[in-house]
Amino acid sequence: MSIVLSAVQYLGYVLIFPGFLFCFLAGLLLCGIDRKMVAKMQKRVGPPVLQPFYDFFKLCGKETIVPAAASSKTVFLMAPLVGLAALVVLQLFIPIFQFTAFSGMADIIVILYLLLIPALATILGGAASGSPYAGVGLSREMVTIISCELPLVLILLAVGKVVGSASGTGLTFSFSAIMAYQAEHGSLILKASMIPAAVAMLMVIPGETGNHPFDAAEAETEICEGLLAEYSGPPLGVYKLSHAIKMLTLTSLFVALFLGGIGSGIEKLVLLCGLSGAAAGAVTVILGAIVLFLLCVVLTVVCISFAHAVTARLKIEQIFKFYWTAVSGLALISLVLAWYGL
Amino acid sequence: MFKKLIAESTAKSPWLFHINAGSCNGCDIELVSVLTPRYDAERLGFKLAGSPRHADIVVVTGPVTTQSLPRVLRAISQVPEPRCIVTMGSCPQSGNVFRGSYSVAGPLSKYVHVDVDVAGCAPKPEAVIDGLALATKILKEKREAK
Amino acid sequence: MSTALYQHFPIFAIMALFLGAFLIVLFGNIKPLRHAIALLAVTASLGFLIALVKPVMLNGEIIAYWMGARAPAGGYAIGIALEVDALSLFFGLLIATAVFVSCVYSIQYMRHDDNVSQYYTLFLMLAGGVMGLVLSGDLFNMFIMVEILTFAAVALTAFRNTVNGALEAAFKYLVVGCMGSTCILAGTIMLYAQAHTLNFAQLSAFIPGNMNTATVVAFALLYIGFSTKAFIVPFHPLAADAHGAAPASISVLISGVLTKSGIYGIIRLSYFLFQTMELGTMQFLLVFMGSVSMFVCVTMALAQHDFKRLLAFHSISQIGYVLTAVGLCTAMGISSGLYHAMNHTLFKGLLFLAAGAVLHETGTTDLGKLGGLSKKMPWTTALFLVGAFSISGIPPFNGFASKWMVYQSIYQKAVESGNIGFLFVTIIALVTSVLTLASFVKVSQSVFFGQLPKEYENVKEVPWGMRLAMGLFAVLCIVTGLFPNAVTTYLTQPAAAAVFNVANYINAMMGSGYAESVMGAAAPAAQAVTFVEVGVWQPVSWLLILIIALLAITIVAIAGQYDRVSEKAPAPAPVDGKYDLFFGGEQSVYSQVGGEDLFWGFKHNWRGYFSFMHELHSGIVNDYALWAVVALALTTLYMLIVF
Repeated sequence: MSIVLSAVQYLGYVLIFPGFLFCFLAGLLLCGIDRKMVAKMQKRVGPPVLQPFYDFFKLCGKETIVPAAASSKTVFLMAPLVGLAALVVLQLFIPIFQFTAFSGMADIIVILYLLLIPALATILGGAASGSPYAGVGLSREMVTIISCELPLVLILLAVGKVVGSASGTGLTFSFSAIMAYQAEHGSLILKASMIPAAVAMLMVIPGETGNHPFDAAEAETEICEGLLAEYSGPPLGVYKLSHAIKMLTLTSLFVALFLGGIGSGIEKLVLLCGLSGAAAGAVTVILGAIVLFLLCVVLTVVCISFAHAVTARLKIEQIFKFYWTAVSGLALISLVLAWYGL
Repeated sequence: MFKKLIAESTAKSPWLFHINAGSCNGCDIELVSVLTPRYDAERLGFKLAGSPRHADIVVVTGPVTTQSLPRVLRAISQVPEPRCIVTMGSCPQSGNVFRGSYSVAGPLSKYVHVDVDVAGCAPKPEAVIDGLALATKILKEKREAK
Repeated sequence: MSTALYQHFPIFAIMALFLGAFLIVLFGNIKPLRHAIALLAVTASLGFLIALVKPVMLNGEIIAYWMGARAPAGGYAIGIALEVDALSLFFGLLIATAVFVSCVYSIQYMRHDDNVSQYYTLFLMLAGGVMGLVLSGDLFNMFIMVEILTFAAVALTAFRNTVNGALEAAFKYLVVGCMGSTCILAGTIMLYAQAHTLNFAQLSAFIPGNMNTATVVAFALLYIGFSTKAFIVPFHPLAADAHGAAPASISVLISGVLTKSGIYGIIRLSYFLFQTMELGTMQFLLVFMGSVSMFVCVTMALAQHDFKRLLAFHSISQIGYVLTAVGLCTAMGISSGLYHAMNHTLFKGLLFLAAGAVLHETGTTDLGKLGGLSKKMPWTTALFLVGAFSISGIPPFNGFASKWMVYQSIYQKAVESGNIGFLFVTIIALVTSVLTLASFVKVSQSVFFGQLPKEYENVKEVPWGMRLAMGLFAVLCIVTGLFPNAVTTYLTQPAAAAVFNVANYINAMMGSGYAESVMGAAAPAAQAVTFVEVGVWQPVSWLLILIIALLAITIVAIAGQYDRVSEKAPAPAPVDGKYDLFFGGEQSVYSQVGGEDLFWGFKHNWRGYFSFMHELHSGIVNDYALWAVVALALTTLYMLIVF
């Protein structure tokens, strides 16, 4: 009986919260807020906040065309679904403050690699379409991935070192250790040595999601949206959804890495209200999810919308140079400071 | 319910693909001005798409020259159903001042079914938005008829 | 000493291969017999080694086998000996597996070639040579096996001597390979002069207490000798040429088997014979060579325009991971290094076989000429992707599991030793991994995806035998990736334990108490091979969740008519281009984006580095020989300073 119950519970995690349904709603909402905020910054009225939902459902009703020159129909159609599934699963491993749907299954290095799967799915799907625009988009997408990888590696190593040296093991990659550290010592962003890494992470987020000004891979005016050039209908909708969820994933990763200390505040609040037992746990999780979403909104506005509104698209070699010099430099400062125990 | 949701969404999220079929560039500029802060067609969900595969509405400007005709028709055929074709300016409807020229194959309606005509040389942004809004209604009807 | 039947299995495993080689010379003209002999030989060899798993891996026995029962007398080991501990058996199993799969593949792959019986003879000689090398218990036999395998490999590289560059590649390999073999011989002689024995166990007991200039120089010579066999930088250009010219089934052996023999030799040397790995300076040497190989070769691979040459460079890049991990001298380092060595054999074998399949059907491996083959060869594409994901370290394939352990072990070492250098090695290792992914994205776009050129319209899928061989590797890639704990418990940890249990190795051979009596207090005590992983990764559960999520999404998608696809052949009408590619309205033409320069956005920023590398790799064998001499001189100098 208990097996059935826990199976239902885990299925609920995967399908409803914090899995598919939550990702779907929160991701698209985040995307809508981003578009609204960009419009506001440009003194426009902007689309309704629900616009990404309309876009998604409209695309579901369109025709799917597989070009005759596509080299693999299966890859072309399955790639978006695999990418979406991988992204949803990735979201399950990122803690929502003290709550993690599946804890003890993946650490931050694994997350680094799991983040590659959706990008790789997009690349393979685009490559399978046979379009030369997709070929150019693929090249740019891959270079963007390489660009973001180095700073992300440095950031994760720095976080692992800081948390590890406090917990006595020297280093750790586990999320639960990172969250426990932050619950005890306050958010990592409050440490002086971690501030450059946090800033670097803010700059990595738009690059990883492929937002302005790092969207050379999906430049609609130059290379007809690159990898997505031949996609239409539902598969395109799934890609747009994945893109929205990726914004949620990366911002919540930032919250988990640098702002995890807020979780203990929520717990105290729940205790203050006089709740206890299972009710307290549930309320904590729900409150945590709400706070997480609000923080994601703030982060999205700061690092995605604001960057979108004020910058023009960079060339691909400029993206590479930017990430491997300025952003990596910032992250390296943090890493070296963390190495010497600051 | 789901079908209704999709039909409603179809009206609210029309993506444009713009084809210049030998236009003098006047209409092209006006089309872009529709998306600027002053008129901001994005509040109705309009967005310029980079590829015809993503588009719902094809906006054709220019008198459809013989050179551009096969290209226009090919690009239009690559737009997935349901789709709407909007001509913008007088040129694609009548040929305007280019009518009768040896190099003009228009009007466009000789070759494909045109859903909305926005007249003017060049049409005012308000007129363009009006025409596009009409196109979204037609899109929704097409989706519902499916 | 009990004489259980399995005591004889190591020599059977070697003999089966050599016997097969001789029988094929005799009966090779009869076609079915030739295949039967070859398959029988490799199967028998694999079978004998698998039978040894239980006693050696699980029970921790060490098999000391004296040819003709000439056990050591008077404290001196004169007879020819085989000694199989878990480390030898681990490498032996890898080799036997790769040889077996490669043999299965060869049957259909080589059917259009002439002189196939000579091919099989050389093939089995090569396999037997490597097998003898890893199971051998004395240094001189190891040298003999090195010679056998080097010459077999040279001959096989030039086997398709009609291929442009095959003879040149073989010549380069011959020159530098012989320099390596000569180094090994010279080192062996010097050690013999010092210790008056060639037996590993006796040498291991004798040398650590009697280090002098001669033994140090011998160490440097042997180290460089085995480095040439492993093709680590600066011997990497040979591998590229050899792989480019050799048949794919031989590339599997050169990359999956020959390089492993080099790594095996380096482990035996530095952990057993000289027992120097406790020194930070030796760790530095191995880790430095490893990380340089890792990074230089992955960037070289990004600049390649030939499928097999690209794979060759990646092969060395992955060997760099192995060498780095092994050089850490921690239980986790060795365990993860061996794990990666195993995975490297599997995924690199798979990739070379896929390249061979492409060559077999299209006649070229030039990235600039191919494209869109997944339309015609869906199986090969799927299997290639498994290999590509594995080598790029995409979860849940095996490359990820081992690389992830390698990262942890390097970072742990960095924290333990407080040496910031290891921190940068961690970063190099992580960045190399994403560059590996980049070049395999390049291959998949240039060869399997994109558009199909007109001349390959009639390409067919490869025959089932070749697909079967690739499938075997692919299944192994997935299984070893999904069950990392089983692999470490049953395969790599016993092998790592053997590395840290030198005294046992000596005593098994020379009689118990020998190590203690010769080495006194300096006798190495057995270390416990336990390690704590700093991270967590459960591939099976992850995969389960992924499958649930994917199923859910697929069901929703299909219910929403996701699969109702409009698709048909392009209509002949000039303007109906609905199913054509979008070309800005133009009629679509053949246009393939791919080939060497796909990632120019990256290479543009590194143009100084790449042009430097381009000039350095001149392709002239004199230069490469010079590099070998310089490497030898520097290593000798370094070791003389250090010890």
